Amino acid sequence: MSEYVKYESLVEGDDFLVPPPAFEVTRERVDKYIQATGDTTLELQKQDESGHEIAPPMLAAVYVIEALRTRVGPPGGIHAKQQFKFHRPARIGETLYTSAKVLRLYLKKDHRYAEMTTETRNQDSELVTSGMITRIWGKED
Amino acid sequence: MTELKLQKWGNITVGDELPELHLIVDQTMINNYAGSSGDVNPLHIDPEFAKTTRFGRTIAHGLLSLAFVSQILSKWNWSGWAYSGELDVVFLGPVFPGNGLHVTGKVDSIEKRDEGVFTHCTISCSSEESTVLKGTAICEIKSDEI
Repeated sequence: MSEYVKYESLVEGDDFLVPPPAFEVTRERVDKYIQATGDTTLELQKQDESGHEIAPPMLAAVYVIEALRTRVGPPGGIHAKQQFKFHRPARIGETLYTSAKVLRLYLKKDHRYAEMTTETRNQDSELVTSGMITRIWGKED
Repeated sequence: MTELKLQKWGNITVGDELPELHLIVDQTMINNYAGSSGDVNPLHIDPEFAKTTRFGRTIAHGLLSLAFVSQILSKWNWSGWAYSGELDVVFLGPVFPGNGLHVTGKVDSIEKRDEGVFTHCTISCSSEESTVLKGTAICEIKSDEI
């Protein structure tokens, strides 16, 4: 049986991802996402004003969730809500690091909820995306 | 901080509809999204496994719908969305392969703040007459792009 994070081990205010997992923003990874989502946004096909090749803003759904998947809860959990704030698009060639902090734990209609804030910064600590995810924790054995 | 509600700013008026998106979400798209996102939960890509779940069949990733929400906002106001956009959504139901997805948005309010002018939009995704995602998006109006 694979190990998972138990709800009782979560503490409000704790850092959830230590160290923050890295995500390489490669041309290949971005193109794969663009093709999978059928994104025809014209601005993605040229460099931005500072001369960078950029990724769609919602690539955040990939690098943030990939980071959170490094510590999974039990199977059957549900992604209930999502907030994102985009500070700027991710750039091809960057390495992004997503940290997460447990914000709030609560019970609602017999379901255990976990709210976590996330922050994604590049290798130079520039803020790219911030957010909050609300998960309904899966049933534990 | 001062805030002023406006009815109109530049080419944007309260009540404006964002460009809509209509598409069919099929299993190939779901599989491709799984490959690109790394989320290979069998609930999305393994029909035999999915039969054993409460859904009875595979479902699309909720975050795939967010990709389409981001696309309509990018098309409507690229710089405001990509460089200061905020999104707050709740996932309400599944999207099954073969079902249509209708992504819409509407300008609810325009606010002039000290730091700029911002639109508040309601966002919705519906599939086969059920709302599967809803929420709000905030974008700054940065220029005459819109």
